[in-house]
Amino acid sequence: MSDTQNLTLVQAVRDGLYTEMQRDESVMALGQDIGKNGGVFRATQGLQAEFGENRVVDTPLAESGIIGSAVGLAIDGMKPVAEIQFSGFIYPGFDQIVSHMARYRTRSRSRFTLPMVLRAPYGGGIRAPEHHSESKEAFYAHEAGLKVVVPSTPYDTKGLLTSAIRDPDPVVFLEPKLIYRAFRGEVPEESYEVPIGEAATRHEGEDVSVFTYGAMTRPTLEAAEDLAEEGIDAEIIDLRTVSPLDIDSIIESFEKTGRAVVVNEAPKSGGLAGEITAIIQERALLHQEAPVKRVTGFDVPVPLYAMEDYYLPNAARVADGIRETVEF
Amino acid sequence: MVVGDIATGTEVLVVGAGPGGYVAAIRAAQNGLDTTLVDKEAYGGSCLNHGCIPSKAFISATDVAHDARNAEEMGVHADPVVDVAAMQDWKEGVVNQLTGGVEKLCKANGVNLVQGEATFVDDSSVRIAHGGEGQGSESINFEHAIIATGSRPIQVPGFEFTADPVWSSRDALAIDDAPDSLVVVGAGYIGMELSTVFAKLGVDVTVVEMLDGVLPGYEDDVSRVVKKRAEALGIEFNFGEAASGWEETENGIVVATENEDGEESTYDAEKVLVAVGRQPVSESLDPENAGVELTENGFIETDDQTRTNVENIFAVGDVAGEPMLAHKASKEGIVAAEVIAGEPAALDQQAVPAAVFTDPEIATVGMTEAEAEEAGFEPKVGQFPFRANGRSLTTGESEGFVRIVAEAQAGFILGAQIVGPEASELIAELALAVEMGATLEDVASTIHTHPTLAEAVMEAAENADDQAIHTLNR
Amino acid sequence: MAIKEFKLPDVGEGVAEGELVSWAVSVGDAVSEGDIVAEVETDKALVEVPSRYDGKIAELHAEEGEIVPVGSVIISFDVDDGAAGGEDAPTAEADDTVEESADTDSDEAAAASTADGRVFAPPSARKLARELGVEIGAVEGTGPGGRVSDADVRAHADAEETEESGEEAAPDAATTEPVGGTADAETTSTTTAAASGAGADREKTLAVPATRRVAKELDVDIDAVPTAETREGEAFVTEQHVREFAEGGAEAGEPATAAAGSATGDQPREETVPYRGIRRTIGDQMAKSKFTAPHVTHHDTAEIDELVAAREELKATAEEKGSRLTYMAFVLKAVTAALKEYPVLNSELDEEEGVIRLKNYYNIGIAVATDAGLMVPVVKHVDQKGLLQLADEIQELATKARDRSITRTEMQDGTFTITNFGAFGGEYATPIINHPETAIMGLGAIKQRPVVQDGEVEAAHTLPLSLAIDHRVIDGAEAAQFTNAVKSYLAEPTKLLL
Repeated sequence: MSDTQNLTLVQAVRDGLYTEMQRDESVMALGQDIGKNGGVFRATQGLQAEFGENRVVDTPLAESGIIGSAVGLAIDGMKPVAEIQFSGFIYPGFDQIVSHMARYRTRSRSRFTLPMVLRAPYGGGIRAPEHHSESKEAFYAHEAGLKVVVPSTPYDTKGLLTSAIRDPDPVVFLEPKLIYRAFRGEVPEESYEVPIGEAATRHEGEDVSVFTYGAMTRPTLEAAEDLAEEGIDAEIIDLRTVSPLDIDSIIESFEKTGRAVVVNEAPKSGGLAGEITAIIQERALLHQEAPVKRVTGFDVPVPLYAMEDYYLPNAARVADGIRETVEF
Repeated sequence: MVVGDIATGTEVLVVGAGPGGYVAAIRAAQNGLDTTLVDKEAYGGSCLNHGCIPSKAFISATDVAHDARNAEEMGVHADPVVDVAAMQDWKEGVVNQLTGGVEKLCKANGVNLVQGEATFVDDSSVRIAHGGEGQGSESINFEHAIIATGSRPIQVPGFEFTADPVWSSRDALAIDDAPDSLVVVGAGYIGMELSTVFAKLGVDVTVVEMLDGVLPGYEDDVSRVVKKRAEALGIEFNFGEAASGWEETENGIVVATENEDGEESTYDAEKVLVAVGRQPVSESLDPENAGVELTENGFIETDDQTRTNVENIFAVGDVAGEPMLAHKASKEGIVAAEVIAGEPAALDQQAVPAAVFTDPEIATVGMTEAEAEEAGFEPKVGQFPFRANGRSLTTGESEGFVRIVAEAQAGFILGAQIVGPEASELIAELALAVEMGATLEDVASTIHTHPTLAEAVMEAAENADDQAIHTLNR
Repeated sequence: MAIKEFKLPDVGEGVAEGELVSWAVSVGDAVSEGDIVAEVETDKALVEVPSRYDGKIAELHAEEGEIVPVGSVIISFDVDDGAAGGEDAPTAEADDTVEESADTDSDEAAAASTADGRVFAPPSARKLARELGVEIGAVEGTGPGGRVSDADVRAHADAEETEESGEEAAPDAATTEPVGGTADAETTSTTTAAASGAGADREKTLAVPATRRVAKELDVDIDAVPTAETREGEAFVTEQHVREFAEGGAEAGEPATAAAGSATGDQPREETVPYRGIRRTIGDQMAKSKFTAPHVTHHDTAEIDELVAAREELKATAEEKGSRLTYMAFVLKAVTAALKEYPVLNSELDEEEGVIRLKNYYNIGIAVATDAGLMVPVVKHVDQKGLLQLADEIQELATKARDRSITRTEMQDGTFTITNFGAFGGEYATPIINHPETAIMGLGAIKQRPVVQDGEVEAAHTLPLSLAIDHRVIDGAEAAQFTNAVKSYLAEPTKLLL
């Protein structure tokens, strides 16, 4: 029987890194302020003291360099976990991601794969200035050759990070920073995996399937609770992996309920909500009883403090969306 | 560089780590709740750091010196030298041991500790401003909050504590050496305890008090014993005088007072200690942001489950009202934590005991005879003087008495007042009696060890039925 | 039963033995604790020895005059299990309870809560009270001075519980059987039915969104559309299925109840309920019947004391044969007999042909209220069936109608209809004829009502009758005569044997 700890999500990131780095010498971390400082969110606290400067590397402020170095390290036998301090800053390194990180397997005909993880805090709701609240997982989902993972609980965080590190192919690991410290959950001390590409049913229901991930899982569950009192029984599916989507779970749920709502904080257009809608109508049209409702952010840059709460889906907006779908 | 505000979530946020707060936090954590404890200063609050513990440490130390100096009757001749700085160090050591203990206990129970000053943003979040290093401030979202911010000494206009010669009780306990002379404004329990300490340090103490006697709130025959002893220690009392101002002089200060006829008096001294009472620390929390209402005096009104007018916010300890006692705070802290955990807890104590650590000590619990009568009972009273108690005589401390107030019909004990040696310890038996609904018979027929001071309690109970052995009954 | 051995107790003063002077009991005697069982003499005194047990004397172990050592067994008792006396031997002298009465004046009257509402109870008792949801001030304390203990709190909580469960004892007073004795089978209202074939009733249906749109437009519940097609193993419906079903004008689901607006507080000014499906069909039929045939209703009351008695007599026999003999069976018989005498009420008007068809067969429809709406199953050839057979058939048809397994044929070819609104209560009504019949008989509630017999007002069982006729075909006089005939058969059911 292993012990469990009560950790926040960001503490689970740290614990996942620690556990895996202990287990496997080829695992290393690199990024800005992650070594001496322990990471601006304390995600790598104490790791450098434990594993040394060669395995926990403080990099210059150079996203392209960080990602590019990680690619190089990964080709040559290391399992690097690169951190970009905010997902909104990935763009200077975007070329490295799409031109190289996503392509090495295909370029080398599988002779080389990149067992690397690119982790970044993402998402809004934290009263930050520009660039710090992005939710652009769609960019990476659209690039073949990349897996994109978004955990929503401390338990899943450690488990998915472990799977990501062990995955022979590159994984973009987006951490919803709004809920970095919002609550604690039980996380086993031992090493364990949560499979990538597998969704989790957070609440079973009969009337409508609600697909969500990341920080939006909480307001969605809250909405479901409120709606239960109105007699609406919602099935909540936390996708956990955004690419590849767990299509089987999505369709299985949709065939049961015939109605769907997708909740994510990303901008509406060109986002994963549309992708899920397309998949549903492709595979389960005959079961469809209502249009798929997308409860998302808006097609504008994430606003600053005063308007931020209007941008992000909250329990009330999610509830409205579900109600609309059920009443169609 | 971190931008943005990532709020930490917690189930129970306790503001203030004094005897109300840290106890509440530990109990909440014991009940499996995710708990966060915030304090802007050291853990343990005023009690551990600036009040109960330091004052009792000084009292014990000065008692040792005083007793040794006055034990000739027993054949002990001594003239101890008191090193106040060393006393301070020792006291700080005790305090640190206790505050360290509180911290350890909290951590061991899984309580998250945060240093900083909390202010309410709304009824589910606070902003914590960090004093020292670290991020400037952070937000904490809570499901329930327990306000345990305690109290601070009342500042009399004209006697701002920021001035060097003006002391609050906190300053008086932070000394490294004793002044030559001291004016004490206020003859309540704090003023009396500290006057005694300083008198035993050889300081020239003058007490000015607005009311007519010392320790208002205690019966005359009880406070009289203490006053007599204080005077014997050399403390000078001036009643009916209100402190009106002070000025620096060549060799110190002069304190001016006014009586009700407007007549002025002046007293020279090195320092002036103002101990006129304590007021709740509440406004600085911005409670209105959470919707929490304050009374006129700044207290937070609570029900018998320690809940404020806001359903998920509780208040315990001094900030929640009288009596401003640490043990009452702890009890309320436990109730608050248990209520949040969903247990059917409530404040249902019959009485809260209180003690004054003067020389001799005073301790009371429950009703006085007059209060019993007012409440509609037919009181039955028993009393026993310490001078008739064997143990008391062997200690050389035999002033004072134990009085028990019961109701005549079934003999239920309603209250007790003790003045004399170890009163603060002896009262526990009677507090238990009051809570249990014990009768005089129950106490009287319980065998008490001989020779102890506690026998006085037994005999006081017997005396109520004219059955005391070692004193003439009535 | 257990055997307890009673040893000679220490009779005092350190005496080691005594002479058993006399027994106060014999073998077989029933003895209570404290009863004197023997006299024992020591050097100092004659002492009475009290029994320590409740029980029966099984054996005496000493003779009168014998010297008996202290501690030796002198009596064997037969005691009931659990009736063992206390361990403490009551001393030879006194049997008073040792406890000094701590309760001095026993009438301090629950001093447990005295002046000030003060309750004397230890903290543990107060906490227990809170946990059990008991108001501590209401608990009667049995401790000294009325002090409340844990046990007192528990006892109070238990007492409260039994009180509550006692209050719930009242059984459902719901009168399941209307006095009409016509039980469930015939609860109806005053209308006719419209039901034709039943639709489907699925939980899940596959259909393209376009089909669902059509279903919505036509007000059809897609789960009710019958289909034989499947896709992926589930029923699949096409637009054509939907349209066909809609045209069938069948019961496309129940009229929806009003939208779930918030129940409490703000009531919307109006609620809209769809007028479609069965409701609409019924409506159309009612309108057609009422506005084509000039209706006249003839009311009368049948005195049926004898019928009641007859049914009573036959009920037992019927049950033996597994039938429920209801009044409706008798009514069917009576009506059929009367129809034979007045065939014009068992007819159909064919305006096109210009003829009145008088039917020589007697298929009586019985209106049944079901969840899907009004239905009228038809009991065929009533004249050819016995009472019990009719009773069974009525039951069967009603059940089938209710669970929608009834067939079209079972609801066709009626020649006359009976509607028993009396099952709900009421005396007279003006029923609407079940087109294309020409008459309908409504039954009111069978009750005891005042009737005049021999100049005296008596209470008698009566059955109010409301006969509506199509005055194009039937005249008032015929209606009256028919009704009289029915009355006479109901009043004297033995006439039906003729």
